[in-house]
Formats: sequence, structure tokens, C-alpha cells
Amino acid sequence: MPKYAMVIDLQSCVGCGACSIACRNENNVPEGIYWSNKITETYGTFPNVRYHYTPTLCNHCTNAPCVKGCPTKAMHKLDNGITMHNPRKCIGCRYCMYNCPYEVIYFNWEDPHKFWKDSRPVIKDGTSSPREMVKKVNNGNGTPYGNPDRAKTLSETRPKGVVEKCTFCDHRLKEGELPYCVEACPADARIFGDLDKPDSKVRQLLGKFKPFRLKERLGTEPSVYYIRSFNPARYERTKGGI
Amino acid sequence: MEGKENNRRQPVADFLKHAKITRRSFVKATVAGGAAVAMGGSLKPTLKVLAETSKPAVTGIAEWKATTCQGCTSWCSKQVQVVDGRAVKVRGNAHSKVNGRASCPRSHLGLQQVYDPDRIKTPMKRTNPKKGRQEDPKFVPISWDEALNTIADKIMELRKNNETHKYMLMRGRYSYMRDVLYDRMTKIIGSPNNISHSAICAEAEKFGSYYTEGYWSYRQYDVTNARCITIWGADPLAANRQVSYYSSVWGDAIDRAHIAVVEPRLSATAAKADEWLPIRPGQDGALAVALAHVILTKGLWYREFVGDFKDGVNKFVAGEDVNEEDFEELHTHGLVKWWNLELKDKTPEWAAKRTGLTAEQIRKHALEMGRAAPHAISWLGGGPCMQVRGAYAAMAVHALNGLLGACDNVGGTLVSNKEYTSKFPKPDDFMDDIAKKGKKHKKIDHRGRLEFPSLNKKPGGGVVTNNAADGILNADPNEIKVAIGYMNNFTFSCPQPERWERALAKIPFLVHITTNASEFSWFSDILLPDTHHMFEKWGYVKSIGNGYRHVTLMQPIIEPVWDYKIDETEIPWLIAEKLAERGFDNLLRHYKTYKDPETGKAPTNEKEFALYALKHATQNLWDPAKYKGGDKFNGWKDFLKAGVWNSNPYPYRKRWSNMKTKTKKFEFYSETLKAVLEKHAGNHNTTVDNVLEVCNYQARGEMAFVPHYEEPFIAGDEKEYAFIHVDYKSRLNREGRSANCTWYYDFKDLDPGDVAWEDVAKINPKDAKGLGVKDGDRIKLTSPTGSLTCTAKLWEGVRPGTIAKCYGQGHWAYGRVASKKFGQVPRGGNSNDLIPAQYDRLSGSTAYYATTRIKVEKV
Repeated sequence: MPKYAMVIDLQSCVGCGACSIACRNENNVPEGIYWSNKITETYGTFPNVRYHYTPTLCNHCTNAPCVKGCPTKAMHKLDNGITMHNPRKCIGCRYCMYNCPYEVIYFNWEDPHKFWKDSRPVIKDGTSSPREMVKKVNNGNGTPYGNPDRAKTLSETRPKGVVEKCTFCDHRLKEGELPYCVEACPADARIFGDLDKPDSKVRQLLGKFKPFRLKERLGTEPSVYYIRSFNPARYERTKGGI
Repeated sequence: MEGKENNRRQPVADFLKHAKITRRSFVKATVAGGAAVAMGGSLKPTLKVLAETSKPAVTGIAEWKATTCQGCTSWCSKQVQVVDGRAVKVRGNAHSKVNGRASCPRSHLGLQQVYDPDRIKTPMKRTNPKKGRQEDPKFVPISWDEALNTIADKIMELRKNNETHKYMLMRGRYSYMRDVLYDRMTKIIGSPNNISHSAICAEAEKFGSYYTEGYWSYRQYDVTNARCITIWGADPLAANRQVSYYSSVWGDAIDRAHIAVVEPRLSATAAKADEWLPIRPGQDGALAVALAHVILTKGLWYREFVGDFKDGVNKFVAGEDVNEEDFEELHTHGLVKWWNLELKDKTPEWAAKRTGLTAEQIRKHALEMGRAAPHAISWLGGGPCMQVRGAYAAMAVHALNGLLGACDNVGGTLVSNKEYTSKFPKPDDFMDDIAKKGKKHKKIDHRGRLEFPSLNKKPGGGVVTNNAADGILNADPNEIKVAIGYMNNFTFSCPQPERWERALAKIPFLVHITTNASEFSWFSDILLPDTHHMFEKWGYVKSIGNGYRHVTLMQPIIEPVWDYKIDETEIPWLIAEKLAERGFDNLLRHYKTYKDPETGKAPTNEKEFALYALKHATQNLWDPAKYKGGDKFNGWKDFLKAGVWNSNPYPYRKRWSNMKTKTKKFEFYSETLKAVLEKHAGNHNTTVDNVLEVCNYQARGEMAFVPHYEEPFIAGDEKEYAFIHVDYKSRLNREGRSANCTWYYDFKDLDPGDVAWEDVAKINPKDAKGLGVKDGDRIKLTSPTGSLTCTAKLWEGVRPGTIAKCYGQGHWAYGRVASKKFGQVPRGGNSNDLIPAQYDRLSGSTAYYATTRIKVEKV
């Protein structure tokens, strides 16, 4: 059985967010929910100031607190290491959200894609309306650009009252395709693979660089690793001074 | 010190916001029915919905189809996945040697654009005769027939009265099908007034590269082979040019090269550089000449390109003239003249006072550049030169490439590779006497006048877009009676846009070809629904990067949802048909000469015309019988499948001593500029000095022909307006057209320092303290020419004394998301409301940077 993991190379990452927008697209994620997200930090005082960007997503922890705390086993682990969610068993209690130390789980407070239910045009008879556009293009389902692939393992959109989060694009892995964020990254900053394969690229990179994971001290054992630094930079050699 | 941006959610706050529960109601409910009821009462999961949608909805085959993205002018070749006739995903086209599979973030927003519910679905006409910001046009739908008939009638009226010069075509977002509408139709009708948007892009950059190395266009940079990269006011990881490509190689480039970004604000690229040089706005020229000074005094110029002192001894000493005879130049011209006229006194100490950088920093960076030569790039962006006196800063920044030998060299600054597309058939035989006469009139934008040299290779050679508003307002040289604008929105994208509001209100008959009803549409009489370039149009564009040029196609890959027609080809054909019906068939006869290269057939309708025009223009690329170079194809279908043609690899150093300058060399003393300036002066019976005075430059005499420092010309008294306005572009701007996409706002904080769903002006915390302004405060920014309201964000990545605000928001039309209240209230504020209508007159460019000071007030 594969043990899926992702290595994120912060030096290659340019902080563009294409991963997060592409993920939004691939998984029909509603506004306000970010299966792929980021931590941004601005350190220092002008002019000695730097901006840092760390891409984030579900860490697919081996010791997943969300799974441990789920009363219905809606949140569960797959054999390949993915922390998966089953909306049919989800009662919307949101314990997983409180248990997750990474805040990567989101709750559908509203019907998804409510924007597309609006039937008002901005110019009467001249422009369309969200409802009309979706009806004409996609039979009234979700959004006009909704991706049907997502429905292969999860529902195309998740209904109000259940949680949702990154699934390592399990529906793509089934077809032998990499997670969409990995494909979409223009900088090849996300590397995916099987930790159980000795010659996999992820294994190689985790040997070549000292990786870190988010909040390691909590013992969640994330499957998302980070290597190198977002701001590699040279500075003039110095011994400092007293 | 530590400033984690608050982009993490707080589950409890979230919950309270959505559940609309107060402590009191929670307690009440708990007592009544238990915690579960209290918490989840109103949020029963609709499992029924799940059951319905659990089956995959795929019925058809998913296909990746080639096209092109024009979200910015990287003009990447793309593929779009189409499922059941719907566009569903976007990715880079692996066939392109320029961008490959890499795709920047803004590309995905194209999906929200093409299915934008606020797209106009049918032609419309205005029923409210009054035109004004507060006047609802009261558009009603009409048929294409009625729209085209009305337009044709108006054009015929001009012809009848010999007033064809009062016709105007305004060009916005184009493809290289543009000449069909922009050039041919305007000429055959008989008007000189084809007005492009180029001057509101980055034309001043081209001035810098033309009057040094004879190249009037954008450059590509050999970053993977560079050892030092200095980027001036460009942000290649966020906005222009070839964002996808540069993003894909930056991680490696930064390992090999010392990268410095010269920019008043901490940009996305500055975040991934070795050094951020936070320069004072408008002082780039000072830094550039000081760097040149150090490179020369330290003997670090690249001798293989520039040449050397005959005796090998470096005589460049601060403050001392050099004898021209002592230096033998190789591939350059005028180095010693330049030193004597400008550089000899421009020490790092001198520059430090003006730039706000330290002399140490400047000296160190010059040494870094010199040591890396010739693999040392001086990357000129719009920032230093789209300013009132920017032309000379452009030359100074670009001239460094000459000093360092980076011009046309490995690891240096490169031009565009040869490509073989063809022009459209000439209009001359179809221009009757009315047309010939009409065309002789002077243009509405005043290019070529004493005060607008606009020296795109010749006096009056370039457009002065924003000044067309003044031409219209003053009916100078004449009124405009009939105008068509396509994919432009000057009433938003030009500084002091309220001038355009007044100008457009004066035009009796205005047509807007557009996807959305924008600010420009608000003043129009007829709206025509346009196709979206990425999904619904036939066309092509060219772009450069990675040492290649690609020619990338756009093709219709989905059925238009509504009644859209292609701006540059289908609509002009349809108008031509209507004109022919009215007895003027010159335009239609001209268009019929655009035959299908495969069959020799003339087009019989607008759809054939759109396709044949494209096949004609690209024939040398796809027709094996016409092969000239680059990728080879079996024929049109083969080309269409790939979607992109790539040039041959870059021929380094081929242009050394073979440049399109007067001397054929890289000119430090620009004989080319001298000739053109003297011609312009001669045209107006005056001197070059007088031209410079009228055009608001400080240089006089020989200084006019060398790169040199000019003091910035910034509006507003320092005492009243304490901050210099810094404008820039978002990595999610699809030019001005992504503001109606929800993803734009949901992800707005991908711009360093910005905030999702907010329009923020970023202020340095020290300055904010002095103002008494906190994060999130509503503030009003005011300049001498206008004001806007937005939200304050305190951020260390802002140079004190400046305020940085991203361009893109502030629409009051365009759509329900772009505006707060459509047609009435803007969402956020438009930078152009602050920026005065000023120009870099030598290039004709609109000034956007270091143009004005502003003041901040809490509201």
C-alpha cells in the first residue's frame, strides 16, 4: 500500500497561490473555504523586512486528531495515508475542526455556491444572471465551470451542514494523476509521492534536505513536509562585532 | 517585530458569526433542548442533496484544447479542458517553449470571466439621452441587425458630409487580428483617429531600449544564465512579463544570481530576492547613473562589448573629464561623451541623498553588477519610466546593460526572436477620395505637436492615449461624432478618468464592444456583446521568454453562451456588409481579399472571415510550402492542434554592431535620439532646448541625448500632501477585467500585504502612528486632482513617506461583484482617481508612478 506524502520546496515557491486557486477549481470549493491555503508573515522593520509565504493544506496526519475525535468515523484514514471524509456519515458537529491544530477543515455554513442561485440581472434583459447562466451551461448544477471529476469519490459539491477539506485529490490518484495543486504549481514547488518507495522523489528530497513539518511537537505526524527556505539570500560575510 | 498576517480562521468566531447565536439564546436553547440543539438547530445537514449528487455527472469526454491567455501581456499559450461543452480547467500548453506547462494564478480566473453572469448577452441601445456618471443609460436589448444598421447609418452620414475624420476607433485589449478593425476599417472609412491604448501600458520602457540599442519593444531576460539581476519597478513573479515562465525558474535563478529589486514597496519579487533596494519614488535615474559611475571608475565595464582605453589604464576618475581620443569603443558609441556630460559627478554619495539608499549599498551593488558582467541584467520595468520625466530614466537603466555587456548576451537582456506572421492586405486600393482626404486630418490625441513629441521612432510616431480625452473635450483639432471602442475602459484605466466621462458624454454616437457593461459603457449609445479571447475568439498573439518567441493561437473552444461576436473580425465584417447595402462597399470588397490560403476561397460571411484572416496571417507558420523557420507543421489542422509555434533558439550576440541605431552600435550618446529630436524641433521651427522646456524636462544642450538624471515632477505641496503615492498591479489582475470574479477577492491577500475582500492602502506603521491610523480604519486618500476611500493596512514593506495601493478595484460598473452597487457605488477605490493626467512627453506615455503626493484622513 502506498504511503502518500507531499514535499513543498519553499525556495521554488514564489507565493503565487496558483495551487490554492486551482484546487478551488478542481474540487468545486465554495467561497470562504480554502482546501489549499497559506501562512504569510512579514518579519522585521523597514528597511530590514522580509515577507514569507508558507503554502498549507491538510497535513494528512498519521496520528490525525480529527479522526480520533470524530464521533461517527466520517473522518477516517485510508490505507494510503490520506485522511478522508465521508459526508454521508458527517453530522456536522465540527469536533474535527476544533481538534485539528492546523485549521484546515472547513464547515459548510451555507448552501455551497449561493452566488449562483441569484436570479437578478444587473441590466434587465441585457445581461444574464447567475441562476440563468448556471441553468444554461450546467443544468443548474453548482457553478458553470464545475468540475465533474470531483464526483468520482466525493460529491461534486458538499451540502450545507457537513465539513470538507483537502483529500490529496484522491479522485485523481485513482486515475493515476497527481493532485491538482501539484500539477498547477508553475514553479514545481510541490512534489508528491510514495514514502514506501525507496526511489521515489519524495524519499530522495527528504534525505537531501532537512525537512520540517508544521507543529511537529504535537505528535500529529503530518505527511506534508517542507524543505529549504522561501527567502534564500546572500549577505556579506561578517564576524559581527561587540 | 513579528507580524503574522491574520489569515487563519478562528473556529469559534466563525461559528458565532454563522449560527447567529448570542450567549443568551445559547443558554436558553441549552436549557430547553440540550447543547446539540442549541448549536446545530438551524443547520440540519441536507443529506438528501448528497444522495442526489453522489453519482458522477460526467456524460461526455473531457478534452484539452489549445488557446491563449491574455490575463496580462505574458500572453501564455494555454490548454483548457472542455467537458460536455463547458470550460472547466486551465493549464499551460506544454507545446510552448516560452511557458510550457507553467501557469500563473490569474489564468484560472478566466473561467469565472467567461461564465460571468454580468456579461452582456445581446446588443443593447441606450434610451436615456442624458449621459453622466449619475445617469442610468436605461439600456434595452436590440437585435444585431438593428445595432449594425444604426452604426452603418452613422458612418454613412459622416461620409455624406465629408466628415469621416470625425470617426474614432479606440483600441483596448487586442490580438494581432487588430488591424482589420483598428487600421483597415478606420482608413477605408477615412479617418486618422485610430487610437490605441499603448501609452497607458509601458511605452516609456521601449524608449529606453530604442534610444540605446535600437529596439522599440519589450525584452526577455536570460535569467537562468545570469549572475546578477537588478529589477527596476517590474514584478515578474506577479505582473508582466512572462509571469508563468519566470515563476517556473526563479527558485533556480536565485541560486545562481544575486537578485536585487529596486522598488519603493516590498513586491512579490522583492520577497524572493537577495536585496530589496527601497528607493524613493522618482529617483531611479539617480541610482542608475551612480551605478554607471562606479562601474566605470572601478574598471568593471565589459571590455569585449564596450572597448577599452588604448593604453589599458582606467582614466574614469570622479569629477574628471576624459579625452575621447583615449578610448577605443568596440560595439558602443559615445561612452566618454556620456561620462563627461553626466556620469563624472554622479557618485554614490550624490545618489544616496536623493534615493534614500546608502552610498555603501549603491557602491556594493555596482561592484556586484560589475563582477557578474556580462551576465548581469538591468531589468527595466514600467516603474522608473512611466513618470513625467521618465524617458531619460529608462535610458539610464537600460544603458547599464550596455556597460555590462549584457545586451544580446548570455545571461543578459534579449530581444524578440524572428517570427514569420504576415500583415493583412493593404487598404490603399480601397480608399476613395473621401477617405484619402479624411485621413489627412490631424489625430485627436495631438501626437507630434510641439508638446507631444511621442517619439516612437519618429516625431508623433506613438499614441498619447489619455490626451485624446482632452482632444475630444476641446474639439481640437475637431469634434468626434462617431466612435467605437473595443475592449477598452478609459473611463477607469486612465488617470483623471472623470475627463473621459465628460469627453464621452460629448460624443453624439458611441459604441462599446465589450464583454461587460463597464464605466466606458455607461456613456455609450450602443453596446455590442464581445467574445472572450481565451474561449470564444479566433486570433493570435506573440510573446517571448526562455530565449524563444512563440506565436500562440486563440480559438473558439466552447459555444458562446449568448449572442457574442468577435470584436476584431466578425463585427467589422458585419458593419462592412451594412455599409455595402448602403452603397459603400469598399470595406467589404477589401475584406473579401482575405482568402482562405488552403482553398483560395473568399469569405462569404463573418465566421469564414474571422477564420480566413487568421489562416492568412499565420500561413508562413503552418504551411509546409512557406516554411521559414522554427517549428514545422503539416498544415493548418496540425498547427491548430498544437496551438502554438515556437521560434528558433536565441541567436546571442548577432546584433552587436548591427543595431537599428544611427551608428548601428549601442548608443550611450544617442545619435538616434538626437536626429529625432532635431527633426521634431525642426517641424515646429524651434530648438531642441525649447522642445525640452515645453515638455517639462530639465536637460538642455547635449544632455538631451544621453541617459541622465532628471528630478521627478510630483504634484502636490509636500506640506499639505505628506505622502508620495505608489501604484502597482496585482498578481490577480487580468488587466482591468478580473474585478467581477469572486476568486479575485477571496484570494486578494496573495498580493503581499493586501487583505482578502478589502481594498487596502498600505502605510508604514511609523507613519500610521503619526496619523493616528490603525489597521482596518476607513481612510480617504486625496491628491490635488482627486480622491478615493479605502481601508488602511499597516505594513513594514512600505517605504516611510509613501503609501502603496494596488490598482484594480474601484469599479462602479462592470458587474455586481466589481461594484458595491452596480452603476452607482464603487467597491474600493480607483488609483486613477488620485493620479493626475500627466505624460512622459518624449515617449507619449501616461505617467502613473511618482506623479503625485497624497494626504490621508480618517473617515
